[in-house]
Amino acid sequence: MSWSFPKLVPRSAPVILLLLTLAAVIGFAAVGHLVARFTANQQARGRKLYAQGLADANAGRYDDSIDAFHAALTCDPTNSQYQLSLARALRDSNDPRRLDEAESYLITLWQRAPQDAAVNLALARVAAHRGSIEDATRYYHNAMYGVWNSDPDANRSKARIELIQFLLKKNATAQAESELMALATALPSAPAAHLQAAQLFAQAQDYAGALAQYQDVLRVEPSNSSALAGAGQAAYSAGNYATAQRYLQAAVNTNHEDAHSRQILESADLILRTNPFHSHISDAERNRRITTAFAQAEDRLTACAQQTGVDLNASTATTTTKTSAVKITSATSPVITSSSSPLSSLQSRWTAAKPDLARLRSPGETDLPDALMDVVFQIEQQTDNTCGPPQGLDLALLLISQKREAASQ
Amino acid sequence: MSNSASTNASPVPSPQTPSPRFQTPRRLFSSLEGVFHEEVFFLILSVFIGIFSGLAVVCFRLAIDWMHLALLGPLPQAHSWRLFAVPSLAGLVVAVLVLHVFPGIRGSGVNQTKAALYIFNGFIPFRTAVGKFLCAGIAIGSGQSLGPEDPSLQIGASIASALGRQLEISREKLRLMAPVGAAAGLAAAFNAPISAVLFVIEEVIGRWSAGILGSVVLSAVSSVVIVRWFLGSEPLFRIPVTTFKRPTELLAYAVLGIVGGLASVAFAKSIGYLRPRLKALPRWTQYFQPAFAGLLVGLIAFLGAPQVMGAGYDSMDQAMHGQFAWKVLAILAVLKIIATTFSFVSGTPGGMFAPTLFIGAMLGGAVGDLERIFFPHLTGSTGTYVLVGMGVLFAGFLRVPMTSVFMVLEVSGNYEIIVPVIVANTFSYLVSRGLQTVPIFDLLTRQDGLILPSLEEDREEVILRVEDAMLPAPATILNAQDYVDANARRIQDSADSTFLVRMHPTGWNVINRDQLQRLFQEGKGELTLGSVLRAQSLPSLYPDLPLDSALRYVNDYPLVPVVNRANSRQLEGVISRDSVFKKYGSGRAIEVPSST
Repeated sequence: MSWSFPKLVPRSAPVILLLLTLAAVIGFAAVGHLVARFTANQQARGRKLYAQGLADANAGRYDDSIDAFHAALTCDPTNSQYQLSLARALRDSNDPRRLDEAESYLITLWQRAPQDAAVNLALARVAAHRGSIEDATRYYHNAMYGVWNSDPDANRSKARIELIQFLLKKNATAQAESELMALATALPSAPAAHLQAAQLFAQAQDYAGALAQYQDVLRVEPSNSSALAGAGQAAYSAGNYATAQRYLQAAVNTNHEDAHSRQILESADLILRTNPFHSHISDAERNRRITTAFAQAEDRLTACAQQTGVDLNASTATTTTKTSAVKITSATSPVITSSSSPLSSLQSRWTAAKPDLARLRSPGETDLPDALMDVVFQIEQQTDNTCGPPQGLDLALLLISQKREAASQ
Repeated sequence: MSNSASTNASPVPSPQTPSPRFQTPRRLFSSLEGVFHEEVFFLILSVFIGIFSGLAVVCFRLAIDWMHLALLGPLPQAHSWRLFAVPSLAGLVVAVLVLHVFPGIRGSGVNQTKAALYIFNGFIPFRTAVGKFLCAGIAIGSGQSLGPEDPSLQIGASIASALGRQLEISREKLRLMAPVGAAAGLAAAFNAPISAVLFVIEEVIGRWSAGILGSVVLSAVSSVVIVRWFLGSEPLFRIPVTTFKRPTELLAYAVLGIVGGLASVAFAKSIGYLRPRLKALPRWTQYFQPAFAGLLVGLIAFLGAPQVMGAGYDSMDQAMHGQFAWKVLAILAVLKIIATTFSFVSGTPGGMFAPTLFIGAMLGGAVGDLERIFFPHLTGSTGTYVLVGMGVLFAGFLRVPMTSVFMVLEVSGNYEIIVPVIVANTFSYLVSRGLQTVPIFDLLTRQDGLILPSLEEDREEVILRVEDAMLPAPATILNAQDYVDANARRIQDSADSTFLVRMHPTGWNVINRDQLQRLFQEGKGELTLGSVLRAQSLPSLYPDLPLDSALRYVNDYPLVPVVNRANSRQLEGVISRDSVFKKYGSGRAIEVPSST
């Protein structure tokens, strides 16, 4: 059996070319119609599979969702939404080998539309999964300055917040702070946004910035208990205990069940009550506070020595004779050079300084309060290192010492 | 169109003819015909061949996709009964169609196109296109481990051949129609015009000339434009980030080339061994051979490797993006060799291009990952090795070294990996050629009882040149400006019977002893030799010319001068009939006709 076609074609070249053109046009139309129908069917099938994939992804069934998205892509291989969703599912499946595939889909999409903020955000998240600060920062920035299909301001803010959280997680505090600055300037007026920014400032240990954000919230919602507590804690962490006391008191008044704020409030109260360097107290009150602190330091030193098994009396006996002639003004200098433990040395210094307490009332001894409190602070710091964090008055004294140290630096 | 269009064309309009603005349609037509002489017409026809082939390939790909979705679903999963039932049953249908309706579609489309070019004057039955379309569509769509490129190539060739016959173009052009269509079909299937052009030139036509190249390029480009118009310009794969940083890493790629070459040989030898044996089985078994191959492929898929089904482009894409561990990649490469071997030797229509790429991709990924385990400093990503591996199998199995390099570059769109690709492909090609003398396409041709020119053999053939048969320049050379008697005296001491004469100002002539003595006896001794010789000049040869070119002259002239290309008066040597035939006799052991 052989197939043959009747030779109907004329021999004139222009006619032949005209006929061929006509045949090509007809073929083009026919194939176009066929492709359109096939594509429509495929797209309908793809949409079903995509919906199924989305449902699986939302339910956390990432393996199923990946299969469904793959299948959807076989039906509609160029669909950007399917590719993006597949990449997200691959990324969220917590399988490190799938990150490569996710990235490749996203890179393909990125090459097609580098300004697409959603793609950049997805790429940034992949980079964040990998822990690459450089890539993540680049793609987060692309996302921030890219094109969003809806609600661009909120999405940009979210992207920046995500970047800040990532940077904080990676201990890139300096970069996080610069992002926080940018965030603060572009925040909407909504209290929730300021509250979140304040928390991020606090995480970055920028307590002044955090306090400013909490104060912005309180200007709009003066009774916002979270903002009050946050402002109090930020002020407390910044060493601004009077402000902390004020906000924490308000926070406790607003929310009686806020135990954490209450605890910090007590600490702030104690610091304010015991700080001998407070500017608005009389000399008598200052001397009383120094005396109390001095006594408290000895108690703390003794307790710590017992906890660690150091015999303070033995070493004190040997060193007292050596230091009896030493003036208290030299209390900060390393006079004690015995081979005993740091606690013993401190005990010696405390013993050497104790007689000077009596001279506190004398006029002209302007350096004496500082010198005595230095002994107290050294004891509190050393015992903190040796025996763990203190509580109550010791904690207050330790915080006062840290604040003084920070101020002097 | 056996007579070119120009023979029918009317001459340029005479001054009496009206201006073109007022030409009647008939006259306009006549003047247009003058433009379309056969060369131009053939080029334009190439564009149409590309368009029609592109349209056919678009339909073919839709058919495969549709069959796949209808029979296997969008994403076949292991342990589904469909995986072995569908290809088995489809194999039965295909066998009936091949044996009873389309008996000419068994075998390689490349070889059938070559046969059309060299044996059948460009004739490929149109039924072949229909048969390939239907049977390969069913087979590949049902999951047989074969690719759509070879059928696409043959569909293109068949359309071109049918068109050429319909238009009654000259036999010389008709012969070239099939390769032109083949390039269009292959370009459309791969979405890679350069690779298609190179493949057709390298494997089918085997020679470069402006006329052929122009037609092949035009058809390939127009078919790719059509495919991209309808199916989009997305590449076959999402190309990963590829890296090549240190030249020392070329060693790793060389190892990949060697492994790829060995795998190519194993693949080619499996096909070469099994194909004639299966063909030799009783005819009734041929009804079941495609079904058996389908069952085997299906079982492999059912047991956990559905990636081996069909062309496998999705799996190659996944391998490029590190979705498989090296052991899985290695297993998939081995399974694909088995699956493709059985699918192909069973006579199921379909091509080996895509499976070759698949095996290379998996092998490349496996070798790359394994090398990185032992040498962690290697910077090449899995995707890079997968891409290079694809070219390696192409070079080793199909034995098309140039196409293999350009194919990888065109598919990846990445020039950075050209050096690893060249190195790996070269090793693969050399290993394959060393262990498997006959390339796969030539092997298949010989198994089918055809002797087609082997283009690889042509490339590798040692050509005899004029210098190989050249005799030293004779001691006595006569001068045309000297008198006859002076020349006669000069030859008295010579034992030669024939002498070259250096003509003035250029050229050479020849005279024998008797002729010279006769001139002397005739009293022409006082005349210059140049004045009494016939004016015709002796042809001269150059040392680097093929010896075949000397055959045209050695029967007519006893001596042919071999001169320097820079100075035609400088004699390098001479060629005689005896020296030429002696060289052929010793070099090729052919019968030398006795001299007359």
